[in-house]
Parts: sequence; C-alpha cells; structure tokens
Amino acid sequence: MILRRALTIASLAAIVVIGVESRMLLLPFIDRGPSEQAMATVSDRVWPDYPRFLEGVREHTSPGDTIAIIVPAMRWEAGYSYAFYRASYFLTGREVLPLLTPHDERLPQNYRAAKYIAVFGVGLRAPADVVWRSGRGALLRLRQQ
Amino acid sequence: MTATLIAILSLTVFGVPIALAVDRRARGPLLVGTAFLYGSGTMYFVLLGLSIAHIRWTLISVTIAALVIFCAAFAVRSKTSSRETGKTTPHAFDLLTLFTIFCYVLYATLAKVWEWDFWAIWGLKARTFLEIGGIDWHFLESRWNTFAHPDYPLLVPLNYDFVALVNGGWNDRWLALLGVASAVALALVARALAARETTPFFAALLTMLVAALGFSRYVGLAEGALIAFGGAGVLFVRAALLDDADACWRHGALMLGFAANCKNEGLALLVAVTIAVIVSAPSRLRKLIPAYILAAPWLILRAVHTLPTDIVQGSFLSRLLERLPYAHQILAYLAEQLAKPWFWVAILAAILIAPAAARRRERFVFLVTAIQFFFYVTAYLATPNNVRWHVISSWSRLTTHLAVPIAFAVFLMLANSLRGSQDAPHAEDARPVVPAGSDE
Repeated sequence: MILRRALTIASLAAIVVIGVESRMLLLPFIDRGPSEQAMATVSDRVWPDYPRFLEGVREHTSPGDTIAIIVPAMRWEAGYSYAFYRASYFLTGREVLPLLTPHDERLPQNYRAAKYIAVFGVGLRAPADVVWRSGRGALLRLRQQ
Repeated sequence: MTATLIAILSLTVFGVPIALAVDRRARGPLLVGTAFLYGSGTMYFVLLGLSIAHIRWTLISVTIAALVIFCAAFAVRSKTSSRETGKTTPHAFDLLTLFTIFCYVLYATLAKVWEWDFWAIWGLKARTFLEIGGIDWHFLESRWNTFAHPDYPLLVPLNYDFVALVNGGWNDRWLALLGVASAVALALVARALAARETTPFFAALLTMLVAALGFSRYVGLAEGALIAFGGAGVLFVRAALLDDADACWRHGALMLGFAANCKNEGLALLVAVTIAVIVSAPSRLRKLIPAYILAAPWLILRAVHTLPTDIVQGSFLSRLLERLPYAHQILAYLAEQLAKPWFWVAILAAILIAPAAARRRERFVFLVTAIQFFFYVTAYLATPNNVRWHVISSWSRLTTHLAVPIAFAVFLMLANSLRGSQDAPHAEDARPVVPAGSDE
C-alpha cells in the first residue's frame, strides 16, 4: 500500500515535471535577444536577402501575373524547393511557376508561360527587359521571340 | 499585436452566446474556454459560407454574418435558467499556470511566425485567400501547389484571415497568439472538467500540465487548434460517458467537428472517437451527429474540387502490404524518434500502477489514444514519401495530438487514488456538479 502510494506520487510528479517544458519557463529570466535573432532568420539563413528581394518583386508585379523563379540552386532538394515555396508566400495573388519538379525534371513550359522571371543570385542570358533590379536579384520580362 | 488581441477577444465574445446555447449553465473557465473555441470554429464557418456564397470577405460582411449568428445564439441562450456549472475554486497553483502561459507567449512571439509549414501551407493559404477575399479554388486546384496540401481543412487559415481583416491587411508578426489562445482555452476547459472530479489543488496542477501540453511548439501550424479542439472534444465525450450529461455530449461532438476542420488528423480523431464510443456505449453514438455535420462541408467541397490527398495517392494498399513485414522496424524507429520519451514512459508506468477500477473507468480515453496511434502508424506504413523523412518531419508533432487527453485521464487516476477513494470502485466519487441528464 505504501509502495503503491509512493509510486503514484512519483509518477504524478514525473508526468507534471516532464510534461511541462522546463526550458521555456526560463525565458523570462534570460536574454531573449539571441533567440529572437535566431527565430527571425531561421527560414532564410542561406539567403537572408531573399525575402527583401521577393517583396521588391511583389511591388513591381500585379495580382494575376505569372512569375517563374531562377536561383543558384536549381535542384529541388538543394534549395529550389525553399526558393519556390518562399516565393509563393511572398507573391500571393500572383501565380508562381516552378521550373523544376520535385524529381528535378525541368519544366521549360513554365519558363515560356511566365510573364516575369525573378532571378536571384545568378545571371540570366536571355532576351529580356529588366523591369527592376536590386541587390543580387532582378525582375525580368522576357521579350517575345 | 493590438489587432490580433482584438481578434481573439472578438472571437471569444462572439462565442459566448454560442457556448451558452450549447450549455445553458456554463460559467467561469468553462464558459470562457468554450467561448473562444466556439468563436474560432464558427468564424471558420462564417468565412467558408461567405466564400461559397461568393460574398467577398470584408470586415463589414464578416461582421454582419457573425452578428446574425450571435443574435440567433443569444436568443436561444436567453431562454435558459440561472443555475450554473463550470465554476471552479481558484488555487495558488493557478498562478503557476499563468506564469507558464506567459512563458509560452514569450516563446510564440519571439519573432514573426518562423515555421516552414506556416509559410508553405497554413499562412500561405490564408494570405492567398485574403488577396481575393475568399477561398481561392484555382490556387488549391493548381498542380503546382500540391506542396500546400490543398486537401487540408481550412479552419486555421480562415482564422488567420479573420485576424487580417481586423488588422486591415496581412501581418504575420503576432499570429502565433492565436495558438496561445487555443492552448489557454483548452486549459480552461480542462480546469472546469477536472474541478468536477478532484480537489482544487489537483485540478490546478492538472491545468498547468494541460496548458503546457496544449501549447504547440510548432508555432503557426494547425497543431495548436487541433490539440485544443480535439483535446476538448475527447475530454467532453469522456465526461459525457461518465455522467451522460447532454451538455457534455453537445460540447464534445461540436469540438470534435471543429477538430475535423483543423487537420486530416482531426478527421481521424473523429473516426477514433466514433469507434471508441461504439465499443464503450453504442447506444450513444447518435450524440456525435453534430460532429459529422460539421465535418461534412469540407469533405464535400474537397471532393467536388477533387483536391488530392497525398497519403492515398497511388496504391495505398500495395504500399501498406509491402511495408507490413517491416512494421517492427518502423515501430522501433518511431520509438527512437519519440519526443519526450520519458513523459510517455511515465504515462505507461502510471497506467500500470493505477488501480484496475480506475483503468476501466478511463478505457474510452485509452481506446481513442490507441486507435489514433494505430491510424498514425498505418499512415507511415502507407506513405508515398520516404518513411524516415515522413517520421522525422511529423512524428513529434503527431504525438502532441495524443498527449492532453491521456495525460488528463492518467493524472486524475493517480490523483484520485491518492485521495484514498480509488481502491474502491471510484466512479462514485466523480459525480458531476450537475446530475446526469438534468440540463434538459
């Protein structure tokens, strides 16, 4: 009876102590600056200037426009998925077209279908007009051939 | 931040007459907790309904629609008697719960919502829909957007849209507060339900635990809402099975219906609860009808728009059969990747320690947890993705869905056995404040 009671108290204490995320309870007492910085940059740690570029693209395009994305990492798992998803979030209202499938197959039809090409971190040799340029990126409009 | 706080407050006020229409005598933590959850869930249906009716979302159109529902619920509420349930006795431990919640607020608002799945799924949909003031079916149907899981239910994105409407535009800096509000609502519900069965000390301690388990570290995702609606739903059905109180059945069914509109896992939870009710009290199954009614619209819409579900693409059965011989390896991998493994060890140990009568009393919650666990394992066995990747990217999140109801049940088993009444058939000491079925 005493053993069961002791085990019960121990289990109850264990459930509460482990269940409550103890590290979070320290948050009011520590310098949260590094954590804030880490969380603010966690999504874009590889290309920290990419969101600002996308905001620029958003300002220079209109709802309904189709935009394809070209970045240094033109392989799905090597960074293109991030570039495409991130662009989809910042460019809502426009249609962001991928130039790769998740299996790294090229989608040239999307390149041709896009009204704009958003190029970040690389150059593009193609007959196109520069609509807007900033930092490492540019928004291009392909010339009709 | 102000807009998000106003939105949360508005949802709570909006939910008060709905909560009272469901449970005429709800007061205190029960009323506040359920009011936020009903406000959040009903606002989803308001936006869904406006979108289906091709009425553009604006603060005015949404407010008018919400006011109609508010007044209708208020009219139902006004016919009620004045006897109250859900009042609880405060305890000093409640201050610790408040401190815990404060810590989670600090965590959730460290920066604007940072989770990949927020800006690739939940936030993306909300922001996309806000552009056109309604659900963008073209976006959901596009083959380029399958990464956003078009089939996922929309309660959370549409709640974000409500915040954006209040704010006058998209701003993801403080959206995580909605998740904190869900956790607080669940904790308040748990506080009220626990107070019916145990002492103020244990009820307060359990509330702190529920507040901690109910807060999802996956900020901005639908986990927070699912944990709150699903957890509350299971706890209410548990209470209903113990007491057969109609109000608990209504709460439980509605919460589970809203959970089914948070994530596909919420739909699975509804199935799990259905099976558990069939096993535990088959004659009570009809009490869950409101849950099916709430789950139906999105199921119909996603079928009409043929929105793909990745888990069933290709041959679900052949993948399942192919991996079945390796099930033990997958289970071992799940055990290896389990978040907070010692928590689950403590839960299992507690189940073994508890008196047999207490275990029998909680069989509904155990059954729901086991069935939901079985669904999750089946999904891993049949996933079209790489199993290891799928486990690593989701398992720790999925276990949080299961934690609150089982922790609640196990905690009460232990706490009540310490009170000395559990060695006897202890269901007797858990009579609710309201006698069974007396709320009609």
